Amino acid sequence: MKLDFFRKIGFGLAPDENVPSDPIAWAVRQVETPAKLTWPGHIPSEQELLDHRAEFVYQDRRILREKFKNNRNAYDDAKTQLRYKTGERYFPSLETVIRHHAAVKGKAPVFERLWHFWCNHFAISEKDMLDRWNTGGYQRETIRPNLCGSFTDLVKKVTVSWTMIHHLDNTESVGPNSKWGKNRRKKGKPATVNENHARELLELHTVSPAAGYTQQDVINLAYIMAGWENRWSKKREECNPVQFNDKKHEPGTHKVMGKGYKQRGISSETKLFDVVEDLCAHPCTRRFISWKLVRHFVTDEPTDAMIAPLIKAWEETDGDLPSVYKALIKVVYEHTGSEQKFLNPETWLLQCIRISGTNWPPSPEVMAYDFKSKPSQPARQPSIIMRELGHNLLAPSQPNGWPDTEAEWLSPELLIRRLAASSKFANDPKYSVFVDYHKVAEKNFDALDDVNYFLHKAKNVDFYSNPKRMGQALFSSKWMLKV
Amino acid sequence: MTISRRHFISGIGSLTLLGSPLFNARAASMKKKNFVVIMLRGGMDGLTAIQPNDSKMAQVRPDILVKGVKKLTADFNIHPRLKAFYECWQEGKASVVHATSIPYTMRSHFDGQNLMQSGGHTPYTEKTGWLGRGIEVSALGGLAISLPMPLLLRGKNTLDNFFPTWMSLPNDGDLRVIESSYSKGSALAEVMNRVRSRPVSMMKRGGDNQAHELAVVAAQELRREDGPRVAVFDIGGFDTHAAQGGEDGAHGECLADFDKVLNALRNGLGNQFDQTLIVTLTEFGRKVEQNGGYGTEHGYGTAILMAGGLVKSSQIYADWPGLATKNLFERQDLNATIDARSVYCSAMSTCFDVDFKTMKDRAFFGDPLTDLSDRLFKI
Repeated sequence: MKLDFFRKIGFGLAPDENVPSDPIAWAVRQVETPAKLTWPGHIPSEQELLDHRAEFVYQDRRILREKFKNNRNAYDDAKTQLRYKTGERYFPSLETVIRHHAAVKGKAPVFERLWHFWCNHFAISEKDMLDRWNTGGYQRETIRPNLCGSFTDLVKKVTVSWTMIHHLDNTESVGPNSKWGKNRRKKGKPATVNENHARELLELHTVSPAAGYTQQDVINLAYIMAGWENRWSKKREECNPVQFNDKKHEPGTHKVMGKGYKQRGISSETKLFDVVEDLCAHPCTRRFISWKLVRHFVTDEPTDAMIAPLIKAWEETDGDLPSVYKALIKVVYEHTGSEQKFLNPETWLLQCIRISGTNWPPSPEVMAYDFKSKPSQPARQPSIIMRELGHNLLAPSQPNGWPDTEAEWLSPELLIRRLAASSKFANDPKYSVFVDYHKVAEKNFDALDDVNYFLHKAKNVDFYSNPKRMGQALFSSKWMLKV
Repeated sequence: MTISRRHFISGIGSLTLLGSPLFNARAASMKKKNFVVIMLRGGMDGLTAIQPNDSKMAQVRPDILVKGVKKLTADFNIHPRLKAFYECWQEGKASVVHATSIPYTMRSHFDGQNLMQSGGHTPYTEKTGWLGRGIEVSALGGLAISLPMPLLLRGKNTLDNFFPTWMSLPNDGDLRVIESSYSKGSALAEVMNRVRSRPVSMMKRGGDNQAHELAVVAAQELRREDGPRVAVFDIGGFDTHAAQGGEDGAHGECLADFDKVLNALRNGLGNQFDQTLIVTLTEFGRKVEQNGGYGTEHGYGTAILMAGGLVKSSQIYADWPGLATKNLFERQDLNATIDARSVYCSAMSTCFDVDFKTMKDRAFFGDPLTDLSDRLFKI
């Protein structure tokens, strides 16, 4: 039995949890179907959040700017009220809480880790207020329910999701020879494709640059994607469901990585899905994703031998994700103890909390919000803490998401923040609960003797023996920062 | 981390300060010179910031041509949101290198940003940055301020960094116990060493880490004779595929973010501004022609904005290739006729008092770069 495994693949074992007798079976069970979210408070739907966004955008752009066009201060005040009314400062924290609750209280921590992985793989970077109203809902409703099917289906859903289309500007993409494009050009206005989404679909989401696609492939894929847009309307601006608009689509056959794609049936809509299927079936895709999974869970530098079982499972099942996860779980177990991984701030924090039973995240009562005034400080705390740790969950700065290697995360300043957070969570009576850290160690650490000796030292740092110091020290120790 | 309008709201910016001449006898014997790099992430459009007087611009950019530009020279105008920069120009303390780029033409942000920082040829192959290597050449050592350490600053020896938090650290005794769990010689132990060697005052600071505030902190530190002499800023949001707009569009907002940082540095540095060189760095420029969404796509040639008393004079330094289609890179982008790394290498050579060839060999792999020091800087 390797106890470190429960942290390498999940978040460790909580004080009230027993050590599973068959760790691999325990983990595999969790990845067969998507786990239910555990947050006992209200979980807003993607649609509900889009409505809030629509209200904000419409009120701000159409009403307030017109009404207060000569009075900047009055405009600022009205906009602040609008922010409160639409929950702008509230939702990022609520999303953090929903996510953290599932990780530290839920029965499927392995699934939760995978969810976090995929949210980062299909990252929505900080752009145009997406983190306020869209990213969280997209992660819960577009990504999460599709994590236990085929990779191809997942990519299809993500690619035409409202949030990704908006994030990567596909609405702005116009085929120069489309009906719409021709009209525009007649008026002397430019009409061209926007390559952003096509490029990231290749580079980040599927085949990766290792596939050797060219700039022309990117442009051709952008032609094929042209027409997929966030539908615009006067009352809701761009906040309507995604549609395929044939009038913006570049007609004809276009080649991507050597294969031509043409319309089948009455609409060109399906062209995009034909390409996605081929991209997902490409050997570079399974290699890239398998490598990323192993890098995330096992080590910064995966070897070919480590990723081989995942690639094999992928090939045998045509990208059936639970099969790939099962292979991953075995690889993680096999390398537990011999390979270590420096954890990102969120995974580290959630592990500290789960194994110690720390009182986090806040309760639905604390998170209650009236949509009239500024959300309370405690209600905003979850996103503030993640920001302080350098891991502002819903807002990585680029579409490639948060980094995944020690070199990117281990700096003096980021370490200081973890030490400070350790101190906060272990000592502040708001969070800390009485817990026997030796018992915590017994079911979570293979280096039990070393850990116990360390805990003993921490308790007796000076004349005043204090068991609370054990938590602070353990959270900051190498056994928690790396596994 | 980036300092963009978006980040002003979320309250996170990023700034890196680095290098203390206290540890360096050679540097201490000379007048202290400050070197500031401002990374403009997303692909800064040099044609928007410093607009050429060329009728083609109005033709291909009917909706995003910037109105209200100010004249710099007979051939170039400046974006109106670059106010502090324009004031510096009028005082002879700002200049521009135009039609320049790092030698990267593949249009991926991530590869491009990796290369603009590493100064290398192939993405992800270099684990250190040109500034980190340049600092090593000049043996400055010392301190940095930032959350993650940008690749640009990484050298063989990991540098210290600093970015104030409002949370409290464990006390010294507790830190010592924690440290005892870190294996000797491990990366964790090294980083912890640096944390523990800090003065207590550096452990904590209240308040938000907003861009202008960080620029004020940077200026305070840089103006001290014994303070750090290198700072790195990170400003994002330049990826304006849509709504790039004119004066008030997204690109204008980003330029204003840059200008705000410049202004805070200039005000905070006081006399030391004359001993300072500020340069911008970006992964690529943007296509000449606007797209259908009032934005621009990823391109190639762009501009480097430079400010501070160490610039030679207010000048646009360029080997201007023109905007005729046949002169464009891949018939769509402003061509780059000057390797941006020549500018950075010359800048480090000037600020760190290291001869150009040594700097080129150690920081830029001995690549064939041109020494522009006497043309661009006060040496």
